[in-house]
Amino acid sequence: MSRLYVFFLRFLRHRKRLAAGALCVPLVVLCDIRITVMIGDAIDRLRTNDDTAFLPGFFGLLLVVAAAQGTFRFLQRWWIVGVSRSVEVELKQELFDKLTVLSFGFHNKSRSGDIVSRLTSDVENVRMLLGPGLMYVLGAAVMVPGSLFVLYRISPAVTFAMSIPLVLVAVSMKVLTPRMHRYSTAVQESLADISHRAQENFAGIRVVKGYGLEAHESAGFDERSRTNRDHQVRFARARGLTQALIHLSHDLAFLPILFVGGMAMIDRTIQAGDLFKFIDLGFKVFWPVIALGWMAGLYPRALASAERIDELLDEPVDIRDPETPRPLDEVRGELRLDDVAFQYPDAPTPALTGIDIEVPAGSTLGVVGPTGAGKSTLLNLLGRLFEARGEITLDGIPLKELSLETLRGAMAYVPQDSFLFSESYRENLSFGARRTLDDEELATLIERAEMTAEVAAFPAGYDQLIGERGVTLSGGQRQRSCIARALAKDAPVLILDDALSAVDTETEAKLLEKLRGAGQGRTVVIAAHRLATVREADRIVALKEGCIEAQGTHDELLERSEWYRATWDRQRMLEELEEL
Amino acid sequence: MRATKHDELVATKAWDSAVMRRLTRYARPHAGLFVKSFLILLALFGTQLYGPWLIRGAVDGPIASAQAALQVDPGADVSPWVQTLGWWALGYLLVVAVSSGLRYFEVAWLTRTGQAVIHDLRTALFRHIQRLQLSWFDKHPTGSLVTRVTSDIENLNELFTSGLVVLIFDLLKVVIVLGLLFSVSVPLATLVLVLTPLLIGVSLVFRGGARRAHRTVRARLARLNGFLQEILSGIRVVQMFRREKLVSGRFTDHLSGYLSANLRTIFLFALFYPIVGFVVFGIQGSIVWSGGASIAAGSLTFGEFLFFWFLLQHLVGPIRELGERYNILQSAFASAERIFDILDTEPVIASPTRALALPRPFTGHVVFEHVSFSYGGAGGTPVIEDVSFEIPPGATVAMVGATGAGKSTLVNLLLRFYDPTAGRITIDGVDLRELDLATYRHELGIVLQEDFLFSGTVRQNLELGRDRVDDDTIETALATSSADELVRRLANGLDTEVEERGATLSTGERELISIARALAGEPGLVILDEATSSVDSGTEARIEAATHSLLRERSALVVAHRLSTVRRADRILVLHKGRLREAGTHNELLAEGGIYARLHAMQFSADDRSAEAV
Repeated sequence: MSRLYVFFLRFLRHRKRLAAGALCVPLVVLCDIRITVMIGDAIDRLRTNDDTAFLPGFFGLLLVVAAAQGTFRFLQRWWIVGVSRSVEVELKQELFDKLTVLSFGFHNKSRSGDIVSRLTSDVENVRMLLGPGLMYVLGAAVMVPGSLFVLYRISPAVTFAMSIPLVLVAVSMKVLTPRMHRYSTAVQESLADISHRAQENFAGIRVVKGYGLEAHESAGFDERSRTNRDHQVRFARARGLTQALIHLSHDLAFLPILFVGGMAMIDRTIQAGDLFKFIDLGFKVFWPVIALGWMAGLYPRALASAERIDELLDEPVDIRDPETPRPLDEVRGELRLDDVAFQYPDAPTPALTGIDIEVPAGSTLGVVGPTGAGKSTLLNLLGRLFEARGEITLDGIPLKELSLETLRGAMAYVPQDSFLFSESYRENLSFGARRTLDDEELATLIERAEMTAEVAAFPAGYDQLIGERGVTLSGGQRQRSCIARALAKDAPVLILDDALSAVDTETEAKLLEKLRGAGQGRTVVIAAHRLATVREADRIVALKEGCIEAQGTHDELLERSEWYRATWDRQRMLEELEEL
Repeated sequence: MRATKHDELVATKAWDSAVMRRLTRYARPHAGLFVKSFLILLALFGTQLYGPWLIRGAVDGPIASAQAALQVDPGADVSPWVQTLGWWALGYLLVVAVSSGLRYFEVAWLTRTGQAVIHDLRTALFRHIQRLQLSWFDKHPTGSLVTRVTSDIENLNELFTSGLVVLIFDLLKVVIVLGLLFSVSVPLATLVLVLTPLLIGVSLVFRGGARRAHRTVRARLARLNGFLQEILSGIRVVQMFRREKLVSGRFTDHLSGYLSANLRTIFLFALFYPIVGFVVFGIQGSIVWSGGASIAAGSLTFGEFLFFWFLLQHLVGPIRELGERYNILQSAFASAERIFDILDTEPVIASPTRALALPRPFTGHVVFEHVSFSYGGAGGTPVIEDVSFEIPPGATVAMVGATGAGKSTLVNLLLRFYDPTAGRITIDGVDLRELDLATYRHELGIVLQEDFLFSGTVRQNLELGRDRVDDDTIETALATSSADELVRRLANGLDTEVEERGATLSTGERELISIARALAGEPGLVILDEATSSVDSGTEARIEAATHSLLRERSALVVAHRLSTVRRADRILVLHKGRLREAGTHNELLAEGGIYARLHAMQFSADDRSAEAV
């Protein structure tokens, strides 16, 4: 409860709109009740004497009250639901900002689907309860006692009798809503299963067809489709039961009105108009009660969602600026790793151990090794994306003593997955420069990244949208674009994480030449699968299962590492083939 | 570079009788269910009308009579009327009970009906997609295909459960209720009839706005979540470039777009319900006003008035939902069209109607006879030109050549993913195009680059639903490929779940498993496309050994990336730009002194060096 209260405080930031909306709620209800009473009284008046002269006036007044009711109803929704949407947006922004500062270690261990669901369905659950939910509860809180009060004054007995089904429906809604939620989750899961199965089949169609598995796959799909169908039917039964109960209680409320009210009419303790009031308010009091039960059923889910949101908001930021950062004005780019180790949380074995490397300013370090040897991890430690054990220094200062701004500001980075944003090409390159680049600057960068011909072919030029909604770039084009982005940031240290794998050998050689020469004396750390990439490096480190197997120049490694030599020979054969 | 189109966003008409006729074909096998659902709806509606009719009867019957009797003689005994009232109440109770029961069946049966049709359609669609040729898959992104068998099918479900049947029924309801209103009071009913178009108008005007607003919200939400996903996957880049503030600002922009779309929807809905409410109040007020005289004069009884009031509720509901139903129809027809588009695509590569049986025993004797192929059909640029070679039973043929030389195309042709544009391929003397596809492919063992493992257990991945694979063959396959040690290391052995992205198995291990998978089927013909990724020396040695076990005494076509594989091949093909440049055994090619000899010389010197190092 207190947890949800904390979220409610966010709603209070908009207290003016919220209060105005809340004020409208009882007004809507009062108008609603008023209309019933007006019509009921009119019926009595018509039945007791033949006077019909009041009718035009009655009609006019009715329209006025109806218009007022409509206006208040509009305002309550507009303000209260509007506030709930504003709060949603604020909460999402806060969560997003938190996500951007959480360390890469956090992102590495969490599934992005889970995070997205916290920002979507969890936020929605809390919003529903505290926004529209509160509006319905407030409405019910006025409607139920209000109508019952009006009716009680007419006949306590009938009022009492008709309240029983009302209580029944509220209770059964509270019981049935979680049940329905359970069934609906099962439906959602079986749907996800269908889509997963289809996705896998379509993506792996070569294997499916190659082994002639079409019939087997169809049978598997049939089974999932059938499971979904069965869950859907089960969910429908649960829904049917809920619907049946709601309508049963609704209709039952009219039984005492008919019988007890009828007897009261016979002995003239109530009038025809009074009976009408019972019937009409019976309709009107009912739906708020159902909403009340519905909200009670949603409550546990919203509470669980609130917990998940809180968990994310409270997640500690483990990589942050030191209290008093050491100043480093002129970065030379000397890196030193001293007995560095790193282990991923929950991993049984360390990803890196006993790493000692020196990278003099302005030199190039190559990092090679088989898949999974720890190349990327090592590179990630340099920018403090992860916190290393042991010590890494930049120009003699431990990374932890530098502000993140200084440290990362000194580095340009090209990721392994050649990640680009689904934005314009200009924006993507400007991302590195921290300001929007003009055409001339862009042209220089693109030329240096060997992308001139491709960019010239973009229909929208530099402002061409990249990604699904724009043009899709090939792996090599993406990699070269990432290099251009890194070059836009003229940093003393350049980190390339297997960033040239999809570029042909000739272009690669040209690019490497430019990268090194771009700023004389730039330090380059480059991880690669293709050994030719690091051949010219001043020093190469060959990793094996998280340790340094050997280090030295290319020629030295040919002597020192069996893996290096075997891989070199194999790759050379492949390259030779390519040059046929 | 390729621009993707968003075919999902194109809106279509709300009624298409051609599409409807085809949908009816899928509904026909379940006609019984449809009839039942409709009868339930009818019975339910009957009870819904019967309840108010009973109330009217009670009010105009015993209550009115008793009141009249008391008016004449204030001391009259009213107990018989009270008793009658009791009977009416009991009747009402019964009707209510039946109606609630029917309510349950309404929801359950409508869903059952819809789901029955949907299940048929969905599986038929999937089955059809399975029959389509590889080139079709190349043209259709996986994501959009998944949408076809999920969201589009779901839209049709809406059509059957809450769209069509209910729409027809709602229209019927409106007509019946209007009829009943007329039977109660012609002037009042006429008044209602005049005022209802107002209600319909509001509902229809709102429909368009609501659909557009909802669509905008959905689109902006999708974009918002897409941006979030993107940032999460690129968080390293964001942090290394220190652009946290920038992306936060972008997110703010996305959020405000989303908020304004939402506010528009809220505005529309906040407006719609009060307006409908106001119109209904107006109708009610005018009934009292114009009916006032009749009530005063006693020509309209109080019971009739109440009945009228109840009926009005049944009229307003369907009309208010009219717009929503229309929207459901529209999106369902758009989905149906996309689904039928796929169903209308005829598979190009299929078993011939009178397929020849595979000669037994299968020897795996493959002959390529002057095979040419181009992706654009006979007129296109050839990827393979006049290639002829033979894989004698039990022999390994290795292909070497640059990327784009045509190695993968030859593999695809042998798999019959495509048919040659000229020439032919025979298997044990029979043209591949005349063979039954399924039986032929069951004889194959295939290991492709970056091989694809399905989610499920390791065992399921080894079995792949093939009849000929059982525990014994799996065990033998694992032992032969020396993958048994790897499986033993896994937490649950063969029953360990293979996770989608790496976690359970490394790249090298996945390759080992797919070799074991091929072995488990005891194939008569092996098609192997060796991986190029660099793995640690231990795994590399195991893969090499496993590859050799797989190729031993089996016919095989290999895209070779390992020198050891090439060396041990019975025949080596050197491909260049789609043509066969050299072919022969290792020794023959060396003697020829061509490309292969040059390659080998280079490799040989490397081997010498390694010998020195040892």
